Amino acid sequence: MERAGAVGTPDQETEPLLQLVGISKRFTGALALDRVDLDVRAGELHVLFGENGAGKSTLINVISGTFLPDVGSFRFGGEDIRHLTPQRARAIGISPVFQEFSLVPTLTVEENLFLGRELSTGGVLRAGDMRKRARALIDELGFDLEPAARVDNLSRAHQQMAEIAKALLGKVRLLILDEPTASLTERETGRLFELIAKLKQQGVGIIYVSHRMREIRALADRVTVLRDGRYIRTLDAALVTDLELVELMTGRKIDVLFPTIPHAPGKVAVAVENLSVGEGIVSDVNFHARAGEITGIAGLVGCGKSELVRAIYGLEPVTGGSIRLHGMPYEATSPRASLRKGVAYFPANRAAEGLALTRPIRENVSMTALDLKRFVSFGMLRQGAERLLINPIMKQLNLRPPNIERPVGNLSGGNRQKVMLGRALTRDLTIFLFDEPSVGIDVGAKVEVYEFMKRLVEAGAAVIVVSSELPEVLALSNRLYVMHNGKIAAELEGAAKTEQNVLSKFFTDHLAEAAA
Amino acid sequence: MADLAPALALAETSARSRWREQLWQWALPIALVVLFLAFATADSRVFSPANLLNIAQQTSYVALFAMAQAVVIITRGFDLSLGPAVSMVSVGAAVAMTAAVTNGSDPVSVLFIGLIAGLALGAATGLFNGVVIALLGVSPFVATLGSYNIAIGIATTLSAGKPVQGMPDLFSTLLYRGNVFGVPAAIVITVIVGVILHVALTRTVFGRSLYIVGTNPRAAAVAGIPVRRVLVCAYALCSSLAALGALMLTARTGSGEPNLGGSLSLQAIAAAVVGGTSLAGGRGGVGTAVLGALFVTVLSNGMNLTRIDGYVQMVVLGAIIIVGVVLDRARLGTR
Repeated sequence: MERAGAVGTPDQETEPLLQLVGISKRFTGALALDRVDLDVRAGELHVLFGENGAGKSTLINVISGTFLPDVGSFRFGGEDIRHLTPQRARAIGISPVFQEFSLVPTLTVEENLFLGRELSTGGVLRAGDMRKRARALIDELGFDLEPAARVDNLSRAHQQMAEIAKALLGKVRLLILDEPTASLTERETGRLFELIAKLKQQGVGIIYVSHRMREIRALADRVTVLRDGRYIRTLDAALVTDLELVELMTGRKIDVLFPTIPHAPGKVAVAVENLSVGEGIVSDVNFHARAGEITGIAGLVGCGKSELVRAIYGLEPVTGGSIRLHGMPYEATSPRASLRKGVAYFPANRAAEGLALTRPIRENVSMTALDLKRFVSFGMLRQGAERLLINPIMKQLNLRPPNIERPVGNLSGGNRQKVMLGRALTRDLTIFLFDEPSVGIDVGAKVEVYEFMKRLVEAGAAVIVVSSELPEVLALSNRLYVMHNGKIAAELEGAAKTEQNVLSKFFTDHLAEAAA
Repeated sequence: MADLAPALALAETSARSRWREQLWQWALPIALVVLFLAFATADSRVFSPANLLNIAQQTSYVALFAMAQAVVIITRGFDLSLGPAVSMVSVGAAVAMTAAVTNGSDPVSVLFIGLIAGLALGAATGLFNGVVIALLGVSPFVATLGSYNIAIGIATTLSAGKPVQGMPDLFSTLLYRGNVFGVPAAIVITVIVGVILHVALTRTVFGRSLYIVGTNPRAAAVAGIPVRRVLVCAYALCSSLAALGALMLTARTGSGEPNLGGSLSLQAIAAAVVGGTSLAGGRGGVGTAVLGALFVTVLSNGMNLTRIDGYVQMVVLGAIIIVGVVLDRARLGTR
């Protein structure tokens, strides 16, 4: 392996390896990064800390050349960097390991390691040399990984190792690790930490994204906290407590005004017993939601909260356990069967799973009710009745402009969500499953969505809100479940329903150990 | 127009894109007129009443097959097996009728046996395609390419590779020689089928579901639309319409022909696509199929009269599909 020569301990006097000043990045309307500063020294491990949506991913994507910043200065190794591409970033020694794998599943580990930089002589691959180098690298890393194995035959943990090995092949000066231990076992994590120590000694700078307090304690030299796309502070890891970090991370948000929801819990509408979905995506979950209240489910991305409600609606195969609706056992076979039982689901990704974008608003609203007499008789659409029903629904939801013949694709995010909400009013429903209801919509539309939920609850419906946005679920829910790794980590109610309590459950095991 | 208010409310940009869309809608009719005038100046026979009737009659066959394709193209699919299915239905119906004739039954019941055998064979082909595509998850390309070969095999085996003769006269009278107030049977049948199909596509749950499934199959499934059932029905309908067309062509030739379908699969797809049915799904209908069929027919009629070689015509047909798809891309891009 050829790595940067700069040997020795972090040098505080000379210029840092990476220096970002005032980096901003805007995506169609939303400011993902707002004047963020970051400096990483050679031989340092620098932790990026923040909630989902704080801008960590965007920032590491800027550093590794995937996104170009709109403004700000980017210096690396003492040079100004402009127009960075992922290829150039790798060439100058910036090597990212992303959470989403960049491996080609049908190729072997060694083919993946050399992907796009194959060793060849006159166009012919030097397979032997590549195998030798791949094995040498994997041995040095101490990974239990077979270079000739196909990636899709590997476990997630082994894929993660292959990903790290890929990042370390070639010259590395700055390594970016995004939650690298998420799928590693204790032993593999230990190996990774040894490796990190070795790299630091060789003068490699490391950016490390993690929610796990214990890892931050074990590894970090400095911590930079981001919140809502803004730079908050950079702290010396040795001089800061866990609580201080969590406080900095959450802050107090100048956010939307949540309506006061008059919860009046009635009978249990949804009861789930020992429910499992997929291979451990959701395992042995028990929970219930009552009529007349909003039940919240909080959790980090990938904790299984979305799959849980999708399984209730019939979109994910249930592998164990049972579901009861209004006390009656229910096997969710298809969305239509669920709709007939009074269950509605509002997907997080509306463009992919919710709407037929080139079709008019009217058709998108009546889509979930094409089995009802009020829209259909003997297979024929009653288009006059359809207009008469949908027009007032969309007026009530403040669709602007109130023309239901426009294609949905022309609408803003907020109006698109209103089209989805309109479906709730086309048929008799008692259970409403909202998956990330306010993703991609502006503040005004958010308030309208919350008001809509309030009206549903007032009318005696059971509303379940799944959300990665903590303030949202906290403010809306009467009872709140916290999910972690496919399991319910806590059920919080009343005074116990606080941000700190939820966060502590996100990091359960780690805080407990840190306290001990 | 009665309601100007919503139009005024639209932003300037969307007004421009609407104008562009109008341009696209009129592009093909204009091209059609230009093409027609060009051929007419090259050869005066193009404008003769006999040739106009010939064009209308020829268009009615192509339009029927293009409508069949449109039904599945709307769902993001297509049916390569349409041509061989036409051959198979032709042979199958002819074999059924000649068998019935030798038993000495009356012509009307022989005719019914032929019609039912043909349509049933078509529906079975479509069900097969639909089940393979919707339930087994095979791509429309592979599935219908497979049934393409199967249908050729069956058609050739049933007929031993030779035309099947001996159908009752009534069959040709009903589907080819007959007329209503002077309008040939083929045109009458296509117009009736076209009207019914148009109503089915725009005013029934099935039609609405077709467009939604074609626009966004995932969203359709999440909204509770029975996507698989809709797809199976679409392919069954497609092949049934093709079977009707096959019976009409068989009535014209007077015998069951194992090569009747020939290049029909591609011709029908070309007509539907050039008329504006989008291979990306969710767009098109009876109107686009008929318009495309008219275009393709005028083109080949003109080329025939100006004595352009048949093989060169194949080159033109192939190019039309490609141009149609490129234009479709461009049109989607302007949105």
